[in-house]
Amino acid sequence: MNLTLWSLKAGQRCEILGFDQVLADNYRTRMMEFGFHPGETVSCVQSLAFGAPKVYRVSNTIFSLDEEVASHLQVRLLGDNE
Amino acid sequence: MSKVILIGSPNSGKSLLFNKLTGLHHKVANFPGITVDVGIGRMRAMTDVELVDFPGTYSLQAISAEERVAVDQFERALDDPEVAHVLCVIDATRLEKSLYFTLQVIRDCERHGKPVTVLANMIDVLDNHKLALDVAGLAAELETPVLPVSARSGKGLDAVVSQLRASAGGATRVPRSRLVDSPDVLLRGTAHQLARRFGPKGDILIRSQTRLDSFFLSSLTGGLAFFAIMYLLFQSIFTWSAPAMDAVEGALAAMADLVVPLFGSQLARDFTSDALFGGIGAFLVFVPQIFVLTFVIGLLEDSGYLARAALICHKPLRLFGLTGKSFIPMLSGVACAIPGIYAARAIDSPRKRLLTYMAIPLMPCSARLPVYTLLIAAFIPADTALGGLVGWQGLAMFCIYFFGMFCGLLVTGVVSRSSEDHYTDLPFVLELPPYRVPGLPPLLRNAWNRSKHFVTKAGKIIFAVTLVIWVLGYFPNYGTDLGASWLGTLGHIVEPVFAPLGLDWRYAVAILTSFLAREVFVGTLGTIFGIESADENMTPLVQQIQASDLSIGSGLALLVFFAIALQCVSTLAILSKESASRSLALKMFVAYLLLAYAAALAIFHIAGLFGG
Repeated sequence: MNLTLWSLKAGQRCEILGFDQVLADNYRTRMMEFGFHPGETVSCVQSLAFGAPKVYRVSNTIFSLDEEVASHLQVRLLGDNE
Repeated sequence: MSKVILIGSPNSGKSLLFNKLTGLHHKVANFPGITVDVGIGRMRAMTDVELVDFPGTYSLQAISAEERVAVDQFERALDDPEVAHVLCVIDATRLEKSLYFTLQVIRDCERHGKPVTVLANMIDVLDNHKLALDVAGLAAELETPVLPVSARSGKGLDAVVSQLRASAGGATRVPRSRLVDSPDVLLRGTAHQLARRFGPKGDILIRSQTRLDSFFLSSLTGGLAFFAIMYLLFQSIFTWSAPAMDAVEGALAAMADLVVPLFGSQLARDFTSDALFGGIGAFLVFVPQIFVLTFVIGLLEDSGYLARAALICHKPLRLFGLTGKSFIPMLSGVACAIPGIYAARAIDSPRKRLLTYMAIPLMPCSARLPVYTLLIAAFIPADTALGGLVGWQGLAMFCIYFFGMFCGLLVTGVVSRSSEDHYTDLPFVLELPPYRVPGLPPLLRNAWNRSKHFVTKAGKIIFAVTLVIWVLGYFPNYGTDLGASWLGTLGHIVEPVFAPLGLDWRYAVAILTSFLAREVFVGTLGTIFGIESADENMTPLVQQIQASDLSIGSGLALLVFFAIALQCVSTLAILSKESASRSLALKMFVAYLLLAYAAALAIFHIAGLFGG
């Protein structure tokens, strides 16, 4: 099953696999500039109520992403020991 | 005079560094077309060097029109022979975020033959947490000097000056590293590796940030904190700035009392009192409000809370084409549109900023309050229902306030869905900066600069329009009868326009003068009805309006008209300056005027169906 970054729950970690084809090139570039590049580990720090943007940690920076962006990042869920 | 460019990514502490190096003495310039601020200041330690502070950007690969302007300006600056050095600021606590941009800057500087020095800022934060950055290793790998600095404490700034002096003396060669031919995609990988090798190890900083976020972003505590902070913000605009606004008005009145009697002729006295002091007061009275709001918003921004507030509000506002960052400008607009328009600068998406500009003038600002109070007192009975729990007048006030907000969201919702994207829009990706204790001097300086900007830019327009309205209302009968003045004649001319709303020339004149500021409507009607100081004691005017043959439908039409129409010259002036587009201000003025008229006409006829 294809997981997206948006589907992560608070406390879960994942590895970024790539971007889907829907996300525009300039958005994709900017996301990679922020550190969201394939192979990077991202954790979901907080998942707010009512579908508000979620809070993610990548490297040592915290970002908040809306569904319109996070749902276009394909990820693999990481276990506790990974 | 040689120039040194200061560049860095957002939240790298660049502005504070600029202020430390220049001693806060900077001016703000706008690029033509789009508002992008560039700070220019003379360095304290090297008075023959001008430091140019470029807007913070994440990358030299622009993805929006506004970023394009900033990047183009930077590229042009690299061709400028007066530019002697480039200082690139990075956040030492979050190396990876800054390094990609830094590599781009180093590469472009090498291509243009400009020496660059990397300033690893916030080194004091690393020291406090016993973390370290491998400065020597990073410098060797970048083939570029890297200096650890703290903009907050001033640590390492002497070394920056020494480096610039050495560079000016020709001691620094421009290295031609392997970066010079590297494409962006390669730089991304390099940045990632360098951050891992030389960056601070450990996540102490993130843990403390996460603890605070779990309070400020949780459904319960975060919601309560949000409402408490927004309440304080609202209080700051309405209540805290009120004494200063009263003081400005009082001081101007006292000065007028001193100066006016010095003139012999009645014309000179009237001109000095009403046109000159009235014109100055028309814009000076807003200064305390702008100062206080800018200060409080700066406090929220520098502390790191503003980004959290934007996150909380984003989802509901997105439904109307807006962003979470639109909330504070719109809330400010409930007090006054002018500070609200200034606050919209924090919105990085030009399209969403434009939509926010459209919503702000429809927020029920405090200038509408006297008009609403007068009309509601005149047309809505002071009765209560449900055992006194619900007063009809209070309910009417609530409804007309809500109506304004509803119209604002409706307009942005419709425009965002129906218009083509004239700008490349930015997705909602918001960096949540670490929580910090804000420094007072930069906040005060920023509030001062914003107030000065308002006085110098919008003041002239407001003053000029005030003079024109005064001349029209004073001549040809020297202020003895407003009805017989040129303005009164104009009122008679435009009477047919307002006649379908059941309004005669007197209301037409009051509406015309309200384009100065909405509350002037009350004073003008008072003058026409021959009542002294109607804006301070409305009761006689309310009785006069009730005694006239104005219908309830006309009263409701006036209420709706004032809720929508953008008849405030100060707002239009500042909108034109901030958006760098006169046509936007003009289009909004015309569109809201037509919308206000159509809505007023509709409400007049609906009321007529019910016998109003």
